[in-house]
Amino acid sequence: MSRLSETQTGFAHAVRNADAAVPEGVVSHLRDKPRKRFGIYRNNVYVSLINVLEGRFPVVARLLGEEFFKATARVFVEHHPPASPVLMRYGGAFPEFLETFEPVSDLPWLPDVARLEWAWNLAYHAADRDPISPEALATIDPASADSLVFELHSAVQVVRSPYPVVTIWSENSKDREPGQIDAGAGGEDGLIVRPGIAVDVRHLPPGGAAFITALSERKTLGSAAERALAEDESFDLQANLGGLIGSGAVVALETA
Amino acid sequence: MESKTRKMTSLAVAGAFAASVAAVGATPAVAADDMVKCYGIAKKGENDCKAGPGTSCSGTSTVDYQGNAWKLVKKGTCTQVSTPAGKGSLSCLTSRPAGKTYDCG
Amino acid sequence: MSRIEDTRVSSPIPARAGVGLKPEHYSEILETRPAVGWFEVHAENYMGAGGAPHHYLTAIREHYPLSVHGVGLSIGADAALDLNHLAALKQVCDRYEPSLVSEHLAWSTHDGVYLNDLLPVPYNAETQARVCEHIDQVQETLGRPMLLENPSTYVRFEGSDMSELEFLRGIVERTGCGLLLDVNNVHVSATNHAYDAVAYIDAFPHEHVGEIHLGGHADDEGDDGEPLLIDDHGSAVADIVWGLYAHTISCCGPVPTLIEWDNDVPEWRVLMEEATQADAVLSKPVLRHVAAE
Repeated sequence: MSRLSETQTGFAHAVRNADAAVPEGVVSHLRDKPRKRFGIYRNNVYVSLINVLEGRFPVVARLLGEEFFKATARVFVEHHPPASPVLMRYGGAFPEFLETFEPVSDLPWLPDVARLEWAWNLAYHAADRDPISPEALATIDPASADSLVFELHSAVQVVRSPYPVVTIWSENSKDREPGQIDAGAGGEDGLIVRPGIAVDVRHLPPGGAAFITALSERKTLGSAAERALAEDESFDLQANLGGLIGSGAVVALETA
Repeated sequence: MESKTRKMTSLAVAGAFAASVAAVGATPAVAADDMVKCYGIAKKGENDCKAGPGTSCSGTSTVDYQGNAWKLVKKGTCTQVSTPAGKGSLSCLTSRPAGKTYDCG
Repeated sequence: MSRIEDTRVSSPIPARAGVGLKPEHYSEILETRPAVGWFEVHAENYMGAGGAPHHYLTAIREHYPLSVHGVGLSIGADAALDLNHLAALKQVCDRYEPSLVSEHLAWSTHDGVYLNDLLPVPYNAETQARVCEHIDQVQETLGRPMLLENPSTYVRFEGSDMSELEFLRGIVERTGCGLLLDVNNVHVSATNHAYDAVAYIDAFPHEHVGEIHLGGHADDEGDDGEPLLIDDHGSAVADIVWGLYAHTISCCGPVPTLIEWDNDVPEWRVLMEEATQADAVLSKPVLRHVAAE
């Protein structure tokens, strides 16, 4: 191992581990191993990443309160540091981390709220595509609709939850006190879309999640509708299809 | 798929398609108030080259989070989300057993 | 202002004040088109596929020259550069055709983990050789010279056997890269390591300076109660740094100068005031020169 590599291995280890001693060979003009000075680097790394997570999961942060969130995020940063210098990609493992993080186990809906926020972030940075135009839609013969295959915008994601995750998220995304929410009121599915540059989160009607998931797997419109009906008998194809196209989620249609 | 009895005929799919295409722009499938935007479209950039808040301990203190050792109390809006009946009435403000505190030093 | 419309194709950045572009100010900049010379962005914030960041930067780029400042390449690491990251940097440069591209004399990635800070390197021949290899690789990939920024540091290494200036000079000679002189970093490091900032500026290889940075710092105390400055970019440029900057310009002549403010970002007006102040300093040596004639 080169000398530089050795120095950086020791430095990185001590930055990541709060209890580690200041590495050998690190000095100030006044002393060896200046603990306070070295702590600046450690602090920078942790605090900046905690702040990234706070910006990425603002609703989770609001639900937990700043102090609790930051302490939680600190544990996450310690165990799941970023692999990429591009920080817009950091935090994908946070929802799963919350699943196993004992201090939040009394909030079973929290990981799904985090999933929704992560999906929002992916949608925010997704590639640009224009939604299908009314002209292009008009050229399609309804008689062939059954075998249509949909190309969805890369921002489109579905988040399914046994908890009212869209309501919890939306109530806590507003600049006012959230209303009382009954977490046992039943599950909600959310659709994340980004027709222009603004991300939209929509609450899906019954069967909608199964329908969109099937379409995203390039199933034909007919079989996606069948799958949605199999999951929920009250599935309304016309309303779901109109809603999906109207939300800007569909960028192209082709016949299978 | 074709061998099974279909609940929806291709004619019904065609009808629904025609109707929904005609309705696009007029009626979204979800009510307008179901649609919410989170925060501004100009979200903060995440990478920068600044240093953090100096030598403050916020990033350097550790806490034993195993088991019930967290004394830290949730103070967020989660008090507004009541947990399902049957799981007990664990609200967010349920106090936790005292343990190592999360503070500086 | 319509004159500026043509800047898109490789116009050089003018020797005027520029401002670090923050998303908080996207709309106001597009609506009011402030008379600022140029903007700088952190490359990593534009490495996503699409969406709002690219939408706004594309629109702003149509009206202003641009500088791209990388923060995550880890040029000072012993380990090889991340080729994916380098390719992403090239993509940002190809897309936005910046007039200047810069990175830091620092490291941040180790063993596949990104430590989100600009970590210091020991100044010796071994590090210097590694940094030169990395800069050669960056310049070859981008097909253009880059600027290397002098760091602000809080600790030193026993393993250093040359000064920061010797270290930087050697890199410039061997790679042909330019330098980004961060005057606030000079003041921060000089204070933290008890050397003379003015002497440092005087000895800096002025002819290679392609850009200057000005930012705010915070006061703290070291392990022995000694003054310690933190490069937090969270306030206005300090008076002492303005003084050092005026001295720098009197040595180097006018150089494109960036106002950096990343923490507690203020309203646009405040950044514009800082830029105006830098422009006033930049115009002084020209006046002096004219007067001398």
